[in-house]
Amino acid sequence: MEDQKGRKFVKRLKGLLLADTMYRQVLFTIISLVVFIAIWQIASVVLHSDYLPGPGKVWDALVTSFSGPDPIFGTTMWENIWASVQRFGLGFIIAFAIGVPAGLLMGFSRTTEILLKPIVEIFRPIPPIVWVPIFFVLFSYIWGPVLAITIGAVFPIITSVSFGVKSVDPIYYDAAKTQGASRLQIFNKIVVPFTLPYMMTGVRIGLGVAWMCIVAAEMIMAIGGGLGLYIWYYAFNAPIENAYAGIIVLAVLGLSTVSLAEYIENYILKTRGE
Amino acid sequence: MLQIKNLHKEFPKEEGTMVAIDDFTYDVKEGEFVCILGPSGCGKTTVLRIVAGLEERTSGSLMLDGKEVNGPGSDRGMVFQEFALLPWRNVRKNVEFGLEIKGLDVAERKVRSDKYIELVGLKGFESYLPKQLSGGMKQRVGIARALANDPEILLMDEPFGALDAQTRNQMQKELLRIWEETRKTVLFVTHSVDEAVFLADRVVVLTSRPSRIKEVFEVKQPRPRDRADPAFLALRKRILAELEQETIQSQQRPA
Repeated sequence: MEDQKGRKFVKRLKGLLLADTMYRQVLFTIISLVVFIAIWQIASVVLHSDYLPGPGKVWDALVTSFSGPDPIFGTTMWENIWASVQRFGLGFIIAFAIGVPAGLLMGFSRTTEILLKPIVEIFRPIPPIVWVPIFFVLFSYIWGPVLAITIGAVFPIITSVSFGVKSVDPIYYDAAKTQGASRLQIFNKIVVPFTLPYMMTGVRIGLGVAWMCIVAAEMIMAIGGGLGLYIWYYAFNAPIENAYAGIIVLAVLGLSTVSLAEYIENYILKTRGE
Repeated sequence: MLQIKNLHKEFPKEEGTMVAIDDFTYDVKEGEFVCILGPSGCGKTTVLRIVAGLEERTSGSLMLDGKEVNGPGSDRGMVFQEFALLPWRNVRKNVEFGLEIKGLDVAERKVRSDKYIELVGLKGFESYLPKQLSGGMKQRVGIARALANDPEILLMDEPFGALDAQTRNQMQKELLRIWEETRKTVLFVTHSVDEAVFLADRVVVLTSRPSRIKEVFEVKQPRPRDRADPAFLALRKRILAELEQETIQSQQRPA
């Protein structure tokens, strides 16, 4: 009797773990995090280095950084996050406002593509960080990190959107033409809505690049605090726990924005049944 | 009335040109249902695409109600084999696409889309997205969309080719009912002899490439037609024989 119950339980557990369910996803995420933290803990004990504090110490530093102003910066973690998020948001909005129209036009009009492609190809491989000091001097201190983010995020958006436009099934154009649609109407009513999920793909990839850029840019120069500045300072000055705390905050911010973009992307695709 | 005169179409090839359609002359009368039938790979779809304005003709003339036709326009409604419905628009929004293009206001659009959605038997499905519809229902939307623009002629490019046999037969009957209610001129491309004989007033049989008119058959049997009727079978057999001859000829030739 007991044995039968046990077998039933094992069977259910197997079902839960092997089928691609929510439970399995959540469970495995937790497992992987727990294993990571355990390895971290062991490594910190074994290495016994000031540069690798254990998770406990970092957690304490994290809590402290949120609860009061930092002795060096005079700001709380909230204020650092807000400073970075402002730069990030501004830079990313500019990237979106430039990248989407540029990508749409480059995908839709061969002339525009020929005109813009050389510029895109010249600037794309340049690491966005290079621009930070230049923009800093050229405009004002605010624009250094902000425009570095713009440059980092704009290329994935352009590429993804113009690829999206080129993926439009020509039959949609035929259908629109036989209903009397002009080129502009085809652009507005076919190309733009079709490209929405590709925009979100570009946004998702662009967000990843942008988070890398903000931190690197702030490490170079930022006035008025910011996560990058914070991490950079505490990477060289005790207590190092603060640097790790900053990294964790950054990871959470990055993960949540990228996940949100991914969610929207999947939602659009699902409603269309593609 | 659609007058096609000396229609000629060449496609550029690596060496020289490939003649797809050669000297195609034919008049489709007002309110008539004409099927173009031909072996696969012949230019029957190309003829239709040229009439729709989606493809340029190399030479020849096209007149719709006495006016020269150049380029696409909503006076010729097209129904596609692949349905070509916009996946992000629901049934109503798909049907209203051409009306938006024309700039009709919301109320006018609704009156028209209601009318044609009802005509094709999709009342109650207005808010469904294409992915929620079966193949037959999708093509009903395709037909409603084409009719909503009130075109002079309905061009149908193997519209039931992607459907299973039962749905296909059902859609043929539905199409005849819709045709009888609207009295639109229909130019219908198919490779199915059975479909052509079941639907058409006249069946235009094309040769294999380059496509010329091989023969035109008139189907005199009154509708609804009985597929088991000896006259139906006899005509089917005659057309089939013509078509077979063409298919053999095209296979004996290098591609």
